[in-house]
Formats: sequence, C-alpha cells, structure tokens
Amino acid sequence: MNFEQFQNQSRLYVIGALEPEEVEEFEKARKKFGKKAEDFITKCYDLHEAFALSLRPAKSSAAIKDRLMAMVKAKKES
Amino acid sequence: MKGIQAGDPDALSQLYDRYNGILKALILRVIHNEAEADDLLQEIFMEIWNQAKNFSAQKGKPLGWMVTLARRRAIDGLRKKQAYARAEERLQNETEQQPDAWVHNATEEEIVLSDTRTLIRKVINGLPPAQQQAIELAFFKGMSQREIAAKTNTPLGTVKTRLELGLKKIYDGLKDLRDEL
Repeated sequence: MNFEQFQNQSRLYVIGALEPEEVEEFEKARKKFGKKAEDFITKCYDLHEAFALSLRPAKSSAAIKDRLMAMVKAKKES
Repeated sequence: MKGIQAGDPDALSQLYDRYNGILKALILRVIHNEAEADDLLQEIFMEIWNQAKNFSAQKGKPLGWMVTLARRRAIDGLRKKQAYARAEERLQNETEQQPDAWVHNATEEEIVLSDTRTLIRKVINGLPPAQQQAIELAFFKGMSQREIAAKTNTPLGTVKTRLELGLKKIYDGLKDLRDEL
C-alpha cells in the first residue's frame, strides 16, 4: 500500500467504514509509515468535527444539565 | 478540558453550555428520538467527565474527541435497539419538519458556528447524492461498506469508491476551515 492509498483508507478508518479484512492491511501500513501516518490519521478526525458542525444545533432540556451537574457533584463528594 | 481534568465542575458546566447543542444534534441524527437523545447526552457528558484524563491535546481537539465519543455511544445505542427501520421512518418525517431558525438572539460564538456550518454544508452538498448517501449511512448510522452495499443494492466496489471519493472531497474542502475547527 502506498501513502496515497493509505490516506484513502485512513479516511474510511476514522469513520469506522473499513471492512475487517482491510483493517489488518491498514494497521500494517500504519506501522510502516510511522509518525507520518499517525499525523495524517489525527487530521482525518477533523471529519468527525465537520460532520457534527454541519448539523443545526439542537436544544436540550435544562433538566439534563441540572441532573448532570448533580451527578458530578455527588460523585466528587463521594 | 484542563479544568475538567483537574476535577472542576464549573469547567464541565461551561463545556456543556458550549457544545450540548452540537452533540445533541449529532445524537438525534443517529437515533431520531428526542427523549433517548437527552438521556444519551447526559450519559455522554458524564463519560466526558469520567474519561477526561484520557484526552490528549496532542492527539486532537476537544470537540473532535467529544464527537467521536458521542457518535460511538449513539451508534451503540442504535444497534442495541435495532431501530433502523423506525429511525428511517422518523428521519423522513423529521427532515421536512426541522425548524430553519435555531439561532435566536445569537451570540457571536453561535454566529461563527453558523457560518462554519454553512461552509461545511456547502462542501457536503457539492458531492453527488450517491456519495452523500454512502457517507451519511457510514458516519451517522455506523454501517459497514457491505451493509451499505446491501441497503442501497449497489456493488461493494462502488460503495468503496463513493466513500473514498466523497470523504477525500470533504477532507480537501475542509482545508481552509481546519484552523477554525
């Protein structure tokens, strides 16, 4: 696998779309390309942010935050 | 994130205020159920609180980490309930009912996010519909290439090509936005 092919696979990898038989080959290439590969994969995770930011934010009930903060407080005190 | 890692509840409160709308929208896009999305949102922020020590700024930005976590939890929830059929039905109904104006008395940060959203949507909407569909099913439904091929009655190789081309175009289209993300 050359680096361009690795880049294509990386974009599929970060969204979990690689098939099991492709993952093994991808991991081998990941080791082969080392830091360059890790840096590229990190950049690919920007796709996650982009897909989330492409959506119109949704409102949540205020009670959710109240419950969350109460749970955090209880956990911190325990 | 440093505040949360230090165990400061106020830091979590601020993070919640800033990102709950984005994460809730992501969860809703996956599971299409308001009450379940609220429950999951609460669980996800609790997980953020519990797992903050595992976040490393060297491996990415906080929003990316949170989105990855939220997406995984939402897709797990969807799979557990095996609710694909019902979700699709709701998706069709809700697509036409989504309110246009979420931003009301928008803060500066909301306006920036809105601009970012417009730019990202422009990139995504520029893809051929088949590529958009393949990415939608992979990212928001957690489907494998084989599952997408079966669902869309498309050869596996074609699905792979659609995903590769579509994701590359989005990735390239985001280069100008990368500093803002």
